[in-house]
Amino acid sequence: MGAIHLTDMHKFFGDVHVIKGVDLTIDEGEFVVFVGPSGCGKSTMLRLISGLEETTSGTIQIDGRDVTGLGAAERGLAMVFQSYALYPHMTVRENMGFGLKIAGSDKAVTREAVDRAAETLQLGPLLDRKPKEMSGGQRQRVAIGRAIVREPAAFLFDEPLSNLDAALRVQMRIEIARLHKRLSKTMVYVTHDQVEAMTLADRIVVFNAGIIQQQGAPLDLYRRPSNLFVATFIGSPKMNIIPCQPGEGGVQLPDGTALPVTGVAGVPAHLGIRPEHIQVVAPEAALMRGTVGVAEHLGGDSFIYVDIDGLEPLTVRIAGGAAIAEDAEVGLSFDMADAHFFDAEGNRIAAT
Amino acid sequence: MGRGLGLGLVLGLGAVWGFVIAVVFGVAITLVFGVAATLTGWQAALAGIAASFAWLSLRMPARPRFAVAIAVYALVLCLLTYFAPLGFAFGDRSLGAVMVLLALGFLTVGAVAAAFHGRDWRDLNRYRFEEVLGRALKGLGFVFFGTIVLLPFYAMLMTSFKKQADLLQNPLDYSINLNQGLSSLFSSYIELFVNFNFGRFILVSSFVSVMTVLLTLAASIPGAYAISRLRFPGRTAFSRSILMIYMVPAIVLVIPLYAVFSQMGLRDSLGGLLIVYPATTIPVALYMLQGYFRGLPAELEEAGMMDGCSRLGVIWRITLPLSLPAIASVALYVFMIAWNEFLFAFMFLDSPEIFTLSRGVVSLNSSEIPRQHLMAGAVIVTLPVLAIFLFFERFLVTGLTAGSVKG
Repeated sequence: MGAIHLTDMHKFFGDVHVIKGVDLTIDEGEFVVFVGPSGCGKSTMLRLISGLEETTSGTIQIDGRDVTGLGAAERGLAMVFQSYALYPHMTVRENMGFGLKIAGSDKAVTREAVDRAAETLQLGPLLDRKPKEMSGGQRQRVAIGRAIVREPAAFLFDEPLSNLDAALRVQMRIEIARLHKRLSKTMVYVTHDQVEAMTLADRIVVFNAGIIQQQGAPLDLYRRPSNLFVATFIGSPKMNIIPCQPGEGGVQLPDGTALPVTGVAGVPAHLGIRPEHIQVVAPEAALMRGTVGVAEHLGGDSFIYVDIDGLEPLTVRIAGGAAIAEDAEVGLSFDMADAHFFDAEGNRIAAT
Repeated sequence: MGRGLGLGLVLGLGAVWGFVIAVVFGVAITLVFGVAATLTGWQAALAGIAASFAWLSLRMPARPRFAVAIAVYALVLCLLTYFAPLGFAFGDRSLGAVMVLLALGFLTVGAVAAAFHGRDWRDLNRYRFEEVLGRALKGLGFVFFGTIVLLPFYAMLMTSFKKQADLLQNPLDYSINLNQGLSSLFSSYIELFVNFNFGRFILVSSFVSVMTVLLTLAASIPGAYAISRLRFPGRTAFSRSILMIYMVPAIVLVIPLYAVFSQMGLRDSLGGLLIVYPATTIPVALYMLQGYFRGLPAELEEAGMMDGCSRLGVIWRITLPLSLPAIASVALYVFMIAWNEFLFAFMFLDSPEIFTLSRGVVSLNSSEIPRQHLMAGAVIVTLPVLAIFLFFERFLVTGLTAGSVKG
């Protein structure tokens, strides 16, 4: 139950082409997270799957059944909205049982299903309250409970944690992960928060401008981004991108630094290096030298922004509370194995 | 801001309150006691200025100062009106005149002092100045609207209890004799119900109003929902044209409709009215409801669809329950329009057995029917709407959607 298959999906809003040909297969029981910047089409994609938005062309299959022409009510999916969307005139119990009531279930069956879901989410004491008498976290938990009660083929989450404060977000994230483990149901989750994406997903699908940029396991995306967009989108702080050109024995940076690189297939135009892969070393042993422009000390980590002549400032992440003062001269070094190379079109050049 | 402004405010309020209170009092005395009072507004304004000047300039404890200010008011008003405040000299009704004079002074000085309660006129900054001014304006607003609503209603109610002979003797005397017994007191009403068929008019009016409400809601709820939620070609043109219809005055339509309805045989019938009334109320109802529907979060309806409801199911189970306050307001509004409607009822209805109340009252308006009957008819028209409004007012609360979405 819950395998979703999308073929050549397109969506127009008037003349605006929002989804430009998406093919995607979501396996049964998989936790798939859609990420991407605002307006990339990830939420629209979810709404197309849910049936709340009509597909312009392409087909949607759920468990082998073509549901493209069916309305939201007939697809057997459940959705959790960013704004909770609880029915304000009903109690928690009525909210959670609403789907079953519409489906014409027996009252006792509904009651039991609601009780079971409430127990899972520790909503027992809240069952007789109205939505306005609850906090944001409780409301979102009820919204999730409402989705569970119906035992849908798949769950759709549309940025469910965005309205919660930071502490609650972490707690709810863990609860959702636990829920997925227990229910083993297909879940499709839209977020712009990479931490949520990295921690929850079996597979991340990165969207930009209405097409899939890359999909894969979270760490695959982190280790082998297939293009510049994914490289800079996944990982925080984002990857440093330095323009480069082929040079003697490897590549040459705009400031004249030559780096020894072997086994790159193609013509490298961009070098990418993650902030956490750069080390601060003594200037004489360094690949590059610069001055610290800004230093941000977060306690566990420090981010320093190093100005280098002829280059954009580089972000460096240093573990521990290393005391590096602003305006200090530093040398930077990194292992060439951690570097990523992209060609002029921004596509990854695989190391041979 | 300083003493000059404070002084100006005190004297200004004294003048305004002096004028307003004297005029309202004069009118009220005339209406309630049937004694013709002269409106001595400007004299009272001057007296108010003098009294408030005394109130602010004397250095004494609050109570004596207040009493002296009232005395100043009374003295100045007497001098300016040649010892005949409100038009009657002390000779004939001394005690009453003195009491009225003191009451006027008390209210005028009291109103000024109340506006300045807890604030010193010598020490006004911008905020306190606005606060004092705001209090005074609030009081003036209450007096103004209270007067223009209550006085005509009072006149109407009292006239309806009078006898023809009393009215001829002194048309301004609104006092009634309560010793005459109920049947005598309510004789005009009894007359209307027994001889003029007002019971039937009430039934007809109720039927027409309730049917208008039902027809209007039946048409405007789906219409407003379509305009506010569904995407279809011509939606904006459609929603704008609603307002255009609303802007066509009824008086323009009544003659052509008269001609057409006469030919179709709809003129002297309630069916004809039930075509015209919803036609005039539906645009307003559509306009009110679509604004409310637009304010409801679309996600609630989407959640309903995900839960398995059809579009109609969503409207029935989610949108309508949440829109009850708006629907109640619209129903009340439409009911009042239909109940009070006069123009079309007057033009279309000729047979007394299908007269609505407002049409029925007009049928009384001839030289043979005494005025107290007319007033009793007006009371009968007004009271049900008043009662319904006071009863349903509590349902006109908004904010039912609180807690549904983020907030």
